[in-house]
Amino acid sequence: MRSLGLLACLAILVGATGALAQGPRLESVPGARPPPTIGGSPDAIAPPSVPTEPTTPDLIMDLSRARVSITSAFQGESILLFGMFDPPGEIVVVVAGPPARETVMRKQRFLGIWLNTGRQAFDDVPAYYAIAASQPLQRLLARGAGGEILSLEDRLSSLKPTTPRDAAELARFRAGLVEVKRREGLYPAAIGQVTVQAGRLFRVDLPFPSRLPEGVYDIRVYLLREGKIVAAVSRPLPVGKVGFSAQLAGWSAHEGVLYGLGAVLMALLVGWLGGALMRRL
Amino acid sequence: MEIYLPIAELSMNVFVLLGLGAAAGLLSGMFGVGGGFLATPLLIFVGIPPAVAVASQANQVVANSISSLQVQWRRGNVDLRMGLVLLAGGMLGSSAGVWLFTYLKRIGQIDFVIAVLYVVMLSTIGLLMMFESLNTYFKRRRNPDGPRGKLHTHYLVHRLPLKLRFYKSKLYISALLPIGLGFIIGVLSAILGVGGGFVLVPAMIYLLGMPTAVVIGTSNFQILFVAANVTFLQAATNGTVDVVLALLLILGGVVGAPIGARLAAKLPGVALRALMSLLILLVAAELLTELLRTPSSLYSLGNREVLP
Repeated sequence: MRSLGLLACLAILVGATGALAQGPRLESVPGARPPPTIGGSPDAIAPPSVPTEPTTPDLIMDLSRARVSITSAFQGESILLFGMFDPPGEIVVVVAGPPARETVMRKQRFLGIWLNTGRQAFDDVPAYYAIAASQPLQRLLARGAGGEILSLEDRLSSLKPTTPRDAAELARFRAGLVEVKRREGLYPAAIGQVTVQAGRLFRVDLPFPSRLPEGVYDIRVYLLREGKIVAAVSRPLPVGKVGFSAQLAGWSAHEGVLYGLGAVLMALLVGWLGGALMRRL
Repeated sequence: MEIYLPIAELSMNVFVLLGLGAAAGLLSGMFGVGGGFLATPLLIFVGIPPAVAVASQANQVVANSISSLQVQWRRGNVDLRMGLVLLAGGMLGSSAGVWLFTYLKRIGQIDFVIAVLYVVMLSTIGLLMMFESLNTYFKRRRNPDGPRGKLHTHYLVHRLPLKLRFYKSKLYISALLPIGLGFIIGVLSAILGVGGGFVLVPAMIYLLGMPTAVVIGTSNFQILFVAANVTFLQAATNGTVDVVLALLLILGGVVGAPIGARLAAKLPGVALRALMSLLILLVAAELLTELLRTPSSLYSLGNREVLP
């Protein structure tokens, strides 16, 4: 009977630590992605049964949408990121799209005609990159390295070129990459400041353009005190086609032969019927 | 009203696309050419990636040519033998063209090649048509009831081997000629997303010497199958056919074509050809300035490759 009680006690303890490991809305070292559950209750984070945990300040966040759905009516979307933190401190939000290899091409005048003459591929280029803060970013980061928080320039300076080239040329291609991505709205220059209300409530709008690469985007929110990260939360944001668009894109990518036959049949049918119909009128 | 195009991966106004299709249909009704030579550059201007514009336009050409072929076939305006010989070359050409397209896309020169080919082709054909129509106009004014020339003249091309008799076209020429012509049209069709009627029709009249009555129907026949082949191969190898885009263009074209045909019946042929040549030259000039003008940005991005 006594051993049974002890077992029960143990079970409760294990359960509590288990819950802590599973659903941490707080991480002192961000990296692991928690499952995309909504919210996160602060009371689940530091249960009294675990007194040895160092006290990290509270930081919770949520998004107005759990995913970006590219439907046939998609025209880009703005997602609201909001949350709460233990004052004092400053908030930095970093959104990074999935990395991929991008090839930058440069035009040059050749015999009076502009054509692509130079090209340079980079690895690990984020499809999307946006950073916002509750204070001017330079001031926050200059004060002593936000550590892993990278401004767009810092993030891109670490890009690996697939082929070696001299530094000045690489810098030019890198600048070209940013220019194109900016134009497409994928590296928004200013997504606006993170606004803080009542000293502890923050919000920021994340703009996503209509031409948005698919994949899992990574959203991270950092709480900084005196230039040091004291808390961070991260959250995956899946971006993908849904419904009819997703179906078509999937067929086009994986069932090219069937898709091609379907496209030809569709054209034959519509062309035939349409032609016959219009001649009746 | 915006619609998201799943393969082009951007949203676009539905009415812009319907209008483009209608404009292409109007041309095809008026002049018997597909109108792809106008629609493809316009699609690229409005921001559709060239690879998707070309492949989806080929899909539109399929619908456009089946709907004109319906009429031509019933009127007996198709020289089936000539059509099949042309098609043999066309199938080879379009398959080679899709391969070439894939290669050019990989080395990042496809946009440039598309633009240059359009400029060269459109300006040549536009000028030829303009001179021809002006010539006819002035000749007719000078001598309205003058004798008509010979059916066609004989020169080098009639001395090639592999001669075949084409009864409907009243021709006895080497099969190599239509095969070669079909091949070139096939390549053009694959790279430029056009049916190629605007090259094929004049070539059939002036180069092969076919009677005008069977030219439109026969070219429609060849274009239908070549465009179907291009659509299929582009979808199977590059995955660049956007059926939503194609369907909108087709629906626009279905409405535009009969209007064009009715207009054509009311206007004299010479004026029509002059009008068309002007239009072609205009598109060529626009594309040329695009090539020569200093671009707003020197940089562009190629394919995005997600590494495993």
